[in-house]
Amino acid sequence: MATETDAGTARSPIRVDLALLNRIERLSDTQFVYLMLTPVLVLLGSMAIWPLIDTFGMSLHADNIMSSDATGEFVGFENYVQMLTGQANALLPRPFLDLSAPLTSAVTVTLIFTVIAVGFEMVLGFGMALVLDKNFRGRRWVRVALILPWAVPIVIQGMIYYLIFTPGVGFAVDPLQGLGLISGAPLADSWSSLLIVIVSDIWKQSAFMALLILAGLQSIDRDLYNVAKVTGATKLQEFRTITFPLVLPTLLIALLFRTIAALKVYGTVVTIANCNTLPTLTCLVVTTWNANRYASAATIAFIMAAVIALALVGYLWKLRDLEYGGL
Amino acid sequence: MAESTGSVAADSEPSNTIERLAQRMIQRPESVYQVLFYIATGFFLLMALFPFYWLMVLSLTPQQNISGMGAFLPNGFNPGVYLTVFETVPFHLFIINSVIIAALTTVVVLLIGSIGGYVFGRYEFPGRTPLMLGVLVISYFPPAAFLIPLFQLFTANVDIFGLAFEYPQIYNTPGAVVLPLSALIMPLVIFILATFYGQIPDGLEDAARIEGSTRVGALFKVIMPLSAPGVATAGILTFIITYNEFFFSFLMLEGNPQEWGVLLHGVFRFQGTRSQAYNLMAAASIVGVVPMAALVALAQDKIVSGLTQGALKE
Repeated sequence: MATETDAGTARSPIRVDLALLNRIERLSDTQFVYLMLTPVLVLLGSMAIWPLIDTFGMSLHADNIMSSDATGEFVGFENYVQMLTGQANALLPRPFLDLSAPLTSAVTVTLIFTVIAVGFEMVLGFGMALVLDKNFRGRRWVRVALILPWAVPIVIQGMIYYLIFTPGVGFAVDPLQGLGLISGAPLADSWSSLLIVIVSDIWKQSAFMALLILAGLQSIDRDLYNVAKVTGATKLQEFRTITFPLVLPTLLIALLFRTIAALKVYGTVVTIANCNTLPTLTCLVVTTWNANRYASAATIAFIMAAVIALALVGYLWKLRDLEYGGL
Repeated sequence: MAESTGSVAADSEPSNTIERLAQRMIQRPESVYQVLFYIATGFFLLMALFPFYWLMVLSLTPQQNISGMGAFLPNGFNPGVYLTVFETVPFHLFIINSVIIAALTTVVVLLIGSIGGYVFGRYEFPGRTPLMLGVLVISYFPPAAFLIPLFQLFTANVDIFGLAFEYPQIYNTPGAVVLPLSALIMPLVIFILATFYGQIPDGLEDAARIEGSTRVGALFKVIMPLSAPGVATAGILTFIITYNEFFFSFLMLEGNPQEWGVLLHGVFRFQGTRSQAYNLMAAASIVGVVPMAALVALAQDKIVSGLTQGALKE
């Protein structure tokens, strides 16, 4: 309709851009949608999908540290077998999975980090959310203060905890050493630096957890609490029977987000300690790649991607079952 | 507050304090929760803010006094350190580079993400759900899974799906950070914008179309201006995420201040020095946080709504 009038009133020197817009206008909705999505698909295709496929391709080849080619001959899933059975450990800068040295093998370090950090973030985040859910004077500023750590650049987050735990400088070294939690050179040994990286992550990310849980809390129907009051329920019962079950779906989403992000930890490790002291999975990908073992690095990266993809698929499956969310 | 009332009571009738407190708690259980609430709030505030305070204490302590300083007050007073930070290293260049790269990413993401959000928010079309899920899944892959091919792509000429073409080196230019980050942040922005765009009544768009506007014209003249809050939310989040990013900024840039070295390279300059200038490290960290602190204070509502929507809608 609009196109006909456009064509009818088109002035004699037809402008190219108008002609183009006219062409676009004549497309069906589906054609139009896919035309509009082209830039999105090109960007995602070249910067995400192609690299992912290429990484997978590399992981199916042998390492090649001699010549200028990135990888050697095709070996199928050999790399995956060697990686997961521990045969590749000796060739890597740090072992991929070695249960006898849990603090220096990538899978165990990453898992310990993720479980402890996300666990504490959940508890602290829940506490923060309960505080922010109340109405009180200065609530806006309390919220600003609590979000502030989330907005700190990763390198500065790392720097803060590097300084706090530098012997002779930081205030936390002597008391924690007295308690026997960290060693005298906390930035150089694996256990202490793992602890420090965990603490720095909890400091930065608890607020993110709190914001998501807060959104869940605020969607609870306030009448339920009035009913609880009338029936004489205690605060604890209120929490157990109303707050917690209703906030659970949101809490699970928050947990999923934080778990996936925690599995990728890298920047704080580099800033606080180094990838040799604390070899997380992302660390191991980078150090293996720097050692010119492209195929092994690609294998580790793809195992990481596969684990995350599995977690996501399982979660989306469950989401569909619950019929929660509007996808 | 709880402590102060407690100590006042302790001064007058020391033997009775605990009994009286217990009695008050039994008579008015809300007061217990009130006290707990203040303790919790105080604890969380202390946890969030004390590292910043201590960082300031450390930065103001002159370098020769650092060993043996206390945790609460600076050992000496040396505000000049905030000038030294810029004299030792061109720290302002690093910050400007960071801001430029974050701004570029924001522009790219908003331009392309707007179109994506418009399409996903306002159209039903075959393949919508799988496409949306695909876009969503991409943002959760670890950056490490993209690193090696992207590094090869940015440093040399490679074939993409069998097509070979010549182009200038992208490594160590803003593009090497902007392009991958745009792709990783895009899904979040599309989801935020789709929500906002979806809420605009169809009638407004129809009216524009009847007036002779094209679909593209309606997007830029009607839909986007009406969703300004959404666009601002998405923009602010993108800016913060890029400014704070570590992985690609660290691995795709060499770190010269004249050649796009960003904040993290600037901070590492201080950490790497032989002089162990801990006060400079602390001062540089504070300077680097200031832009983000200002943004959070000014735009906290947008940040909160963006984060919760981005996560919960997905």
